[in-house]
Amino acid sequence: MPFEDVWRREAPHVLAALLRRSGNLAACEDAVQLALLAAAEQWPREGLPEEPRAWLRTVATRRLVDAVRSDASRRAREERAFRLEEPLHGADGPEPTSAGEDLLGLLVLCAHPALSPASQTALMLRAVAGLRTAEVAECFFVPESTMAQRISRAKATLRAHGARFAPPRPQELPRRLHAVRHVVASMYSQEHALAELGEGAVRLARAVRAAGPDEPESAGLLALLLLTHARAAARRDGAGEIVPLLEQDRSLWDTTLIAEGVSLLGEVLPVGPVGPFQLQAAIAAVHAEAPTGEATDWPQILELYRMLEQVEPTPSVRLGLAVATAEVQGPQAGLNLLATADGRTHRHDAVEGHLLARLGRDDAAREAFLRAADATRSLPEQRYLLRLAAAAGTT
Amino acid sequence: MKYVILIHSNPQPWGHPTPDYLPEHQALPAEEREAGNRAFDEGFAEVIDRGELVHAEALASPTASRLFRWKGDQKIVVDGPYAEGREHLAGFFLVDTETQERAEEIAALFGARGETVELRPVMSEGPDES
Repeated sequence: MPFEDVWRREAPHVLAALLRRSGNLAACEDAVQLALLAAAEQWPREGLPEEPRAWLRTVATRRLVDAVRSDASRRAREERAFRLEEPLHGADGPEPTSAGEDLLGLLVLCAHPALSPASQTALMLRAVAGLRTAEVAECFFVPESTMAQRISRAKATLRAHGARFAPPRPQELPRRLHAVRHVVASMYSQEHALAELGEGAVRLARAVRAAGPDEPESAGLLALLLLTHARAAARRDGAGEIVPLLEQDRSLWDTTLIAEGVSLLGEVLPVGPVGPFQLQAAIAAVHAEAPTGEATDWPQILELYRMLEQVEPTPSVRLGLAVATAEVQGPQAGLNLLATADGRTHRHDAVEGHLLARLGRDDAAREAFLRAADATRSLPEQRYLLRLAAAAGTT
Repeated sequence: MKYVILIHSNPQPWGHPTPDYLPEHQALPAEEREAGNRAFDEGFAEVIDRGELVHAEALASPTASRLFRWKGDQKIVVDGPYAEGREHLAGFFLVDTETQERAEEIAALFGARGETVELRPVMSEGPDES
């Protein structure tokens, strides 16, 4: 395994181990970075240590202590804030024993409710997925300095809220894990998400699953992201233009990721209760298992959307329901559902355009595509919608 | 989501920060101007601190512009300014915020008397995040 992969895998565990001693995320992260630098220098020369995690932890702990010492001599008052002497989870808290618990504590810290959604994602990519700040910045198309500022502010916010690294109390666990899953899903559950984010998101979903293997929804999230990322290579054509799901070249789909996602679902679906991530993953799996777009099992997708609407009646779920309804019962049935939709976005206009075009109502279809094109903030999506508007009535 | 904040202004003489060269702004009592400057400095420091500033540039005088235009089927090059109107593009700020409301809050920091501030969403190469 290349050294870089070893660091990526081990860094969050090392960070978690450090955080157990000191609640200061910024200081601990710096220490881990210094340990990685030391490893980058030593490992190629001396070979991979027998226990890379222990090696990194020893070096990082040393760096952390150094940092706290030098800081203490400079600013004695701030030193207390490092809380190095204090146990982190209080005298009565259990000592985290497994790597899973460590990871869980780290994930929960990153999903702290005081942080903005963008900060939660950035922090998770940095601390849990092990991306460098520059790599996180690339994911969001901002300069590294902007991202560094965002991350350090997020850490300061955690400090200000007295947020500490600790495994959540059992009664809090479901709520905390729910929040964690939503942060990860928000990164990458959209069909046209940038492939750049995919690997980081899948890695985070794996971490969420590892942190709480008994949670069926965590498996559902991982399955959903695996099945979404499996299509990454087919979502855009050579010119970077959007290829809609049903027109994608399915030979480009990653069969290994699909197989993993499908088998994961097969394990957890019978366990129940079936939550929204499992249902979304199940929908993705139905698409994945269709040999062609035409062969899609729409009645099954419609049934899954109906179940999903029961547990998560959001505008985007209802939009998916309208699409599936149109496929099973005809375009007019889909349009009827859209007519009563609340929380309309440009995506509703786009779907309306498709359904109107199928009914041969070309002028209305063109107008719907133009409304959607005007409202979207995505360039590839706008080009796609303008192409559809131009084609309405000419085919 | 990314937004660009465009400052349309006509400082006389052309200079930055533009309010320092706007007669309407300069006519205000010194206290009011200083209070305004302080409010801006604090607000803008927060933009940086929150990791929302992506990029910013102040533009040279519009008389320095060169305009590339068509005259019939000929492309010609003439001296600026581009706009005949009173205001010119004086500078821009590219910000990345969580919400449209926050972008509007930031845009409201800008714009002294005599200026117009324009807030425009920036298109993304990825999905629509709004």
